[in-house]
Amino acid sequence: MDPSAAVYPEQRAANPYLPEVAADPLPFYERLRRECPIANMEGLDEGTHIISRYEDVKFALKHPEIFSSDLVAVDIGQDRPLIPLQVDPPEHAKYRRVMDPQLGPSVIGHLEDEMRKLANELIDGFAGRGAVDFHAEFSVPYPCTVFLQLTGLPLDQLDQFLTWKDNIIRPEVDFGDIEAATRVRHETGKAMYSYFEGVIDDRLANPGDDIITRFVQAEIDGQTMSREEILDICYLFILGGLDTVTSTLDCSIAYLAQHADRQRQLADDPSLVPHAVEELLRLHTPVMQVLRVVVTEHEMHGVTMRPGDTVMVMLGSADTDVDEFGHTADDYDLQREVNRHLAFGGGPHRCLGSHLARLELKVALEELHRRLPAYAVAEGATLDYSPGIREIASLPLVFDPKAVA
Amino acid sequence: MRLVFDAEACVGHGRCYALAPELFDADDQGHCVVLVEVVDAAQADRARQAVNNCPEEAIRLDP
Ligand code: HEM
Ligand code: SF4
Repeated sequence: MDPSAAVYPEQRAANPYLPEVAADPLPFYERLRRECPIANMEGLDEGTHIISRYEDVKFALKHPEIFSSDLVAVDIGQDRPLIPLQVDPPEHAKYRRVMDPQLGPSVIGHLEDEMRKLANELIDGFAGRGAVDFHAEFSVPYPCTVFLQLTGLPLDQLDQFLTWKDNIIRPEVDFGDIEAATRVRHETGKAMYSYFEGVIDDRLANPGDDIITRFVQAEIDGQTMSREEILDICYLFILGGLDTVTSTLDCSIAYLAQHADRQRQLADDPSLVPHAVEELLRLHTPVMQVLRVVVTEHEMHGVTMRPGDTVMVMLGSADTDVDEFGHTADDYDLQREVNRHLAFGGGPHRCLGSHLARLELKVALEELHRRLPAYAVAEGATLDYSPGIREIASLPLVFDPKAVA
Repeated sequence: MRLVFDAEACVGHGRCYALAPELFDADDQGHCVVLVEVVDAAQADRARQAVNNCPEEAIRLDP
């Protein structure tokens, strides 16, 4: 299916949740922006609006008084709003004030050597074979190991954490069976709350050198946070910390595997890697959209959005808008002079993990291209991208094992 | 030329201090601190690069 066929201008509707769209979203985004800048979600009543142009997306992200994050209506198994994701300013700022320093650039910088070591161990694990499922053997274990070290959670329970986040983000139920999805999410939510109750008890009794201990000890206006607040932070952390870097690595390496010249460019000149990280984040925007709920009536392109309406803010579409990025918007361009991409969102909810994620991506791309010779997607492999957050279920690559550095 | 910074608009993307660490630094929250307010011609390119990559348009370069 041509992904742009998931835009239905006559009905002013679209469906970004199809696997075909996730696999190749650019034609979908382009048609959406051009023909249907405010679309309804296909099959749902009026009252779900998809926003797709850069200017509009940016406006929505920066105006929480109109587009609120207080998404009680979006049921992902949580009992209360996730902190800080579903909290609006000014409340929101007090959490970010204590959380940001724990994931700030100077703190994160200390992890670089560990990351590099880990990346190399993972590469050693498959280098001799000349073949790898990059998703399973690198994209998943690399960021997850870093994350578990940071949070002091046990590495041998990684599979449990991964099952939980997948149950919440992409529950395995029949396509469109919302009731079953909700049931899975609720069961998972309960298990996660009860697990983290135990973690919090442990950190109160045995403070460690980890980020959960620091959240437990952090004070807002002279008071430590409540147990519920810490739980709501941990819940989101598992979702945010275990999924997104994996998806970004999947999308980035799948792209580079299909563009040998661009691999060589990074191998020849590693100083280009930070630009490549930004350009890959922009072009592939792994978190395709974020959600908001309208709290103040607002009109956009002749469409009235009413309080209670849900809004899908298409980051991926904004990031490839020609009006912002010019005629090279759909190209990979390391010389791009203006790159205000929104892959980490924008406004007050700018991704809390962005400094960590950027460093992980930089180190990974440096080490992969320092050590691996030319790599390609294995012949006959089909790449299945999951909608929403663009993870690739399996990414088989091949390379010459004798040429590994 | 002068770098004008809007602390209200900055949310800590960190593009500025990554691209031009000689002109910008991060505070403990990851928000921007302008190190060099008046930039000379030699620094202008890098300053402009930072301005061009701030998603919040929190920095401006005035003549
Ligand atoms: C390349 C990897 C990543 C991408 C593309 C990404 C993307 C995003 C986006 C788009 C948002 C904004 C959500 C919104 O506006 O509603 C966000 C928020 C957030 N992210 Fe990330 N993220 C990444 C990595 C991480 C990591 C590694 C962590 C944790 C260690 C993390 C934790 C969070 C948290 C806690 C928030 C909520 C911030 C708030 O609401 O104030 N993210 N992320
Ligand atoms: S790039 Fe912009 S938003 Fe980010 S830290 Fe610098 S000034 Fe602040």
